Amino acid sequence: MAMALFSPTFSFRISTSAPQRRRRRCFVQSSQATVAIEAPSSSTTDLLLQVKDLSAVIAESKQTILKGVNLTVRHGEVHAVMGKNGSGKSTFAKVLAGHPDYEVTGGSIMYKGLDLLEMEPEERAIAGLFMSFQSPVEIPGVSNIDFLNMAYNARRRKLGLPELGPIEFYGYVAPKLELVNMKTDFLNRNVNEGFSGGEKKRNEILQLAVLGAEFAILDEIDSGLDVDALQDVAKAVNGVLTSKNSVLMITHYLRLLEFIKPTYIHIMENGRIVKTGDISIAETLEREGYKAIS
Amino acid sequence: MSLSALNSYLPKPCAPPRPGGRPTRTKVFAQPPTLAILSDPHVLRLAETLEDSIAASSSSPPPPLQKLRDISSQSLLTTPWPSRKDEPFRFTDTSFIRNSEVHPVTLAPTQNLDVLSGLADSISPNIAIIDGYLVESLSNLSELPDGVFVGRLSDLNSKGLMEKVSKYVSNFQGDLFWSLNGVGAPDVVLVYVPEGCKVEKPLGLRFVSMNRSYKGSKSLPISNPRVLVLVEKGGDIGIVEEYVGGDGDDRCYWTNSVMEVVVGDGAKVSHSYIQTQSLGAAHVKWTSVSQGSKSVYELTEVSTGGKLSRHNVHVKQEGPDTVTELSSFHLSIGDQLQDLHSKLVLDHPRGFSRQLHKVIVAHSLGQAVFDGNVQVNRDAQQTDAGQLSRSLLLEPRATVNVKPNLQIIADDVKCSHGAAISDLEEDQLFYFEARGIDRSTARKALIFSFAAEVIEHFPDVTLQKKVENLIRTLLTPALPSGV
Repeated sequence: MAMALFSPTFSFRISTSAPQRRRRRCFVQSSQATVAIEAPSSSTTDLLLQVKDLSAVIAESKQTILKGVNLTVRHGEVHAVMGKNGSGKSTFAKVLAGHPDYEVTGGSIMYKGLDLLEMEPEERAIAGLFMSFQSPVEIPGVSNIDFLNMAYNARRRKLGLPELGPIEFYGYVAPKLELVNMKTDFLNRNVNEGFSGGEKKRNEILQLAVLGAEFAILDEIDSGLDVDALQDVAKAVNGVLTSKNSVLMITHYLRLLEFIKPTYIHIMENGRIVKTGDISIAETLEREGYKAIS
Repeated sequence: MSLSALNSYLPKPCAPPRPGGRPTRTKVFAQPPTLAILSDPHVLRLAETLEDSIAASSSSPPPPLQKLRDISSQSLLTTPWPSRKDEPFRFTDTSFIRNSEVHPVTLAPTQNLDVLSGLADSISPNIAIIDGYLVESLSNLSELPDGVFVGRLSDLNSKGLMEKVSKYVSNFQGDLFWSLNGVGAPDVVLVYVPEGCKVEKPLGLRFVSMNRSYKGSKSLPISNPRVLVLVEKGGDIGIVEEYVGGDGDDRCYWTNSVMEVVVGDGAKVSHSYIQTQSLGAAHVKWTSVSQGSKSVYELTEVSTGGKLSRHNVHVKQEGPDTVTELSSFHLSIGDQLQDLHSKLVLDHPRGFSRQLHKVIVAHSLGQAVFDGNVQVNRDAQQTDAGQLSRSLLLEPRATVNVKPNLQIIADDVKCSHGAAISDLEEDQLFYFEARGIDRSTARKALIFSFAAEVIEHFPDVTLQKKVENLIRTLLTPALPSGV
């Protein structure tokens, strides 16, 4: 079992429109590198996430949403999931994160060789699974910096690393704000309180940059963003990507995919993934709509 | 007829009135003895005890104070002790004070007040009111602007000001406890801000109870502090009212306090009120506010102490375009009752008001009551009034009784009210978990942030921090385990 690679480091890069091969990316380590022990690589440890025949219902009403989802994600890959409203994309993301509103009724999810369904949401997060919410909730009374500090220290504690006090943590976090193009006064505001849609999404990506992740699930990170904010967010996400970690993006539009180049695109329909391909699928979708695909 | 003469018509368990030892008082009024049947003997006895203690100590009181005493005596003749059948006390059990032997406190200057010298720290300017008596030696009034008066009404020399005060004193009729204060208050502390004057630093009022009885003894010392804040047109002042418990967290006493605030046209009063008295004490407080046109009144309240704590807030609009903001946080961590009864009366157009009330009951014997009344009368057109009450019940059998009520007669208004009683929000808890923070840490943070929303309203940052730390300490051991 590979140990969780806790890497709050990132490389800052600007995405160009030229196609990039995601798998073979070299990255520049910043001075704050922390590297954990890695298992020797083999073809099986290339596998990050394996979802087999996953079915799930809404816990309260027992209404079935996911009807047998299959997905394989390897290290360093970028997957996009598109589909009509109500096809189950967000539900899929929430089930991966462990949201209590949903109950898994069948199938399995293996994450880095671990049975994800046996893990509590906070265990999944510490194991490197990060979910960026579609509508992040407001938490009045808890400041952004306190929240980030708590989450950061929770990880450090689990990994047996020393925790950071508020002042040291501020020193660690402040430079990351540039990534998401936000000012330092942002840290003193309460989590998502009074934030515009764009600020909420950028806050999610800031959390991703601070906490690091091996597998980031971005649920409609582009919704509600203007073109500039979208570029900032895409830049930040690209900055966090390495050859070791992966992304699953849920989106409706081609726009985001032009900034964050996907390795695979999946179309979800009626609780299942019905088609998988490359960027050309998204282009067809944009031109002709879903009927052209199914 | 004075109260004692009336009392003579009733069966008396206590000694008859002392002959000739008391200065002459203005007779209240002459009423036939049959009125005595409508009075509550318990109330009359208590009122008489208070009158006696006042008469014994002071010299001739200034006219407004005498007027106050007369009006209060009169009303006590026909005010019974409230029972659970009276709507304002439906959920509030006052038997704790009713069944105790209440005796008034007389301040003996020789008491070792040095122990309180630590009080003269934090905020300055400040005054110390011990057991209802203003103590100059522990007050610090050096930094007040010219024209501002802070002191006892009996020490006021200006005739003009005394006349002004006369107009306001006892303009309002409260309940039994209001009248008991009127009869028992040794003096009125006046805070006067002249026209156009802005008092830069907030004025601290520290209320301490030195006379305390031990838990289990039936005796209950009562103190009746009374303050009148009179802010003229365009004036601006911040008041910080603190009721502290002192050492020994289960000593018993009854603080029966009244504060009247008159906010002139265009004036602003920012009122912070913090109550952290002993868990064996009774705390009954009235805050009666009258707002002139275009005035601003902001009340931020945090109440964590007292076995029985009742705050009555009455805000009356006397002119249009007023702004009223009431924020309160009540915490019940033991066998405590926290009660807020508020009433906002709007009779003029374009008033703006927001009320936020939050309660945490963290003990199975803890209780809380909220009765928030807003009256938007016929002439209060284009009023914008909002009220929100949120209660967090953290233990089984913790109780909260919430009664938001809006009475709207005007027809061009925007009013809203909401009340929620719940546990913590699942969405917020999941957000923490999804970031790797375990459930119990998340609960602690969210419970604290529940209170923080009100604490952030305190205008002074040092005060905010102090209250935050207090709440944090109170909440930590009180958290239910295993969540």
